[in-house]
Amino acid sequence: VSAVALIAGCGGSSVRGPANQVPQRLLRSDVESFNRALDLERRSIAAYTAGIPLLQGSDAMAAKQFLSQELAHAGELLGLIRDAGGTAIPRVASYDLGHPRTARQVLALLEMLENRQIAAYVAAIPTLSTGSVRASVASILADDAQHVSILRVALGSTAATSAFVTGRE
Amino acid sequence: LLGRDPTRRELVRHAVSAGGLAGAAVLSPASALAGSSAAQSDAAVIGRLLGLELLVVFTYDHVLASSLISPHARQVLGPLLAQDKAHVGALTAALARLGGTPPPGPADIAQADRYLAGRRVSGRLGQLRGGRDALRLLLAIEHVAEGAYYVSMLTLGDPQLLRLGAEMMASEAQHTTLISLLLHPGVPTQAVPYALVQGRH
Repeated sequence: VSAVALIAGCGGSSVRGPANQVPQRLLRSDVESFNRALDLERRSIAAYTAGIPLLQGSDAMAAKQFLSQELAHAGELLGLIRDAGGTAIPRVASYDLGHPRTARQVLALLEMLENRQIAAYVAAIPTLSTGSVRASVASILADDAQHVSILRVALGSTAATSAFVTGRE
Repeated sequence: LLGRDPTRRELVRHAVSAGGLAGAAVLSPASALAGSSAAQSDAAVIGRLLGLELLVVFTYDHVLASSLISPHARQVLGPLLAQDKAHVGALTAALARLGGTPPPGPADIAQADRYLAGRRVSGRLGQLRGGRDALRLLLAIEHVAEGAYYVSMLTLGDPQLLRLGAEMMASEAQHTTLISLLLHPGVPTQAVPYALVQGRH
C-alpha cells in the first residue's frame, strides 16, 4: 500500500470547532503552519517507508507502528487544512533523505526528522487561531515526542533528555 | 480591576501600588497584563496544572523512597521525577508572573490519595502492593498530566504559556512511554499506542 493512498484516506479529528467562527486572516496563517507541518510529516513518512526494510525485530515493529501514526498525523493535518478552507501543498515526488545503509543510520535519520517535526509544532502552537486547533496539533506533537523516546532507546541514548521538549535537544 | 478589562494605565498604577517603585521600574508589557481577565484566566489554568504537577512529584517521591521498584526502574524514574520538578518550577514562576498564588501540594499520603481519587486515578499510594502496582499508578497520574496539558491548549491565551504547556505536554507523553516500557519491556509498540495523544481528561 502506498503512503499516498493511505494519506488520501485519512480523515480529520473530532475535536475541531467550526472553522467559520475564526477570522479568515488567522485561518490563512494556520493553513501555512499546517502545510509546513504536512511537508515534514510527508518527509518522515517517506523515511519510515524507505527505512523499515533495514530494521529488525522490535525496532521494525515500532517503526511500522510509527509510520501508521505519521500517516494519521498527515490525515489530521489535511483535515485541518480542509476545515480552514485552505489547500494542501502538493506532494513532492521524492525527498533527499541521504543514504542510510545500517539500522543505526536509519534510526538516527528518523530521530532527526521527528525532532524537526516537534520543533515545527512547538513553534506553531502559540500562533494557531483556536484552542481546538492548538489541542489537535499538540496531540500530534506529543505522539512525535514519544516516537523520539523510543528511537533514542533503540539507539542506546537517553530517552527523555529535557523537561521541555522543543525538538532541539 | 475585576469588573472589566483594565486600561494599561490602570494596570501600571495597580502594579506600582502592589509592588512599589522597584516593581514599576521593571514593568514590561507582559507583566502589565497581570490582573487582566485574560491573565486571571491563564493564572487559573496554570494554578490547576501546578497543583497536578505537585501531586505527580509527591507520587514519584513516595514511590522512589519505597523499596517497591527495581534498581533499573529507579534509574529510569529518577530523571522523570527531576523533569516533573522542573515543570513545577516553571509553572510556579509563570504563576508568580501572572500574580497568582501557588496551590499547596499534598501534605501527606492520605491527602495525596484523596487528590488521586479526585483525579479519578484508581491507584492509591497507601495501598501499593509491589513494583508493577507502583508503575501503574505513576502511569495513571502521568496520563492525567498529559490530559491536563492537552486541555490547557484549549484555554490558555498567552503565547509563551501555550509554548511552555506544549513542551511540557510532550515531556509528559515521553514519561508515559518510558513507564510503559518498564511495564512491558521490549514491547515499544505498547508504549506508543495512539497517533493522537490526548491523555486522560
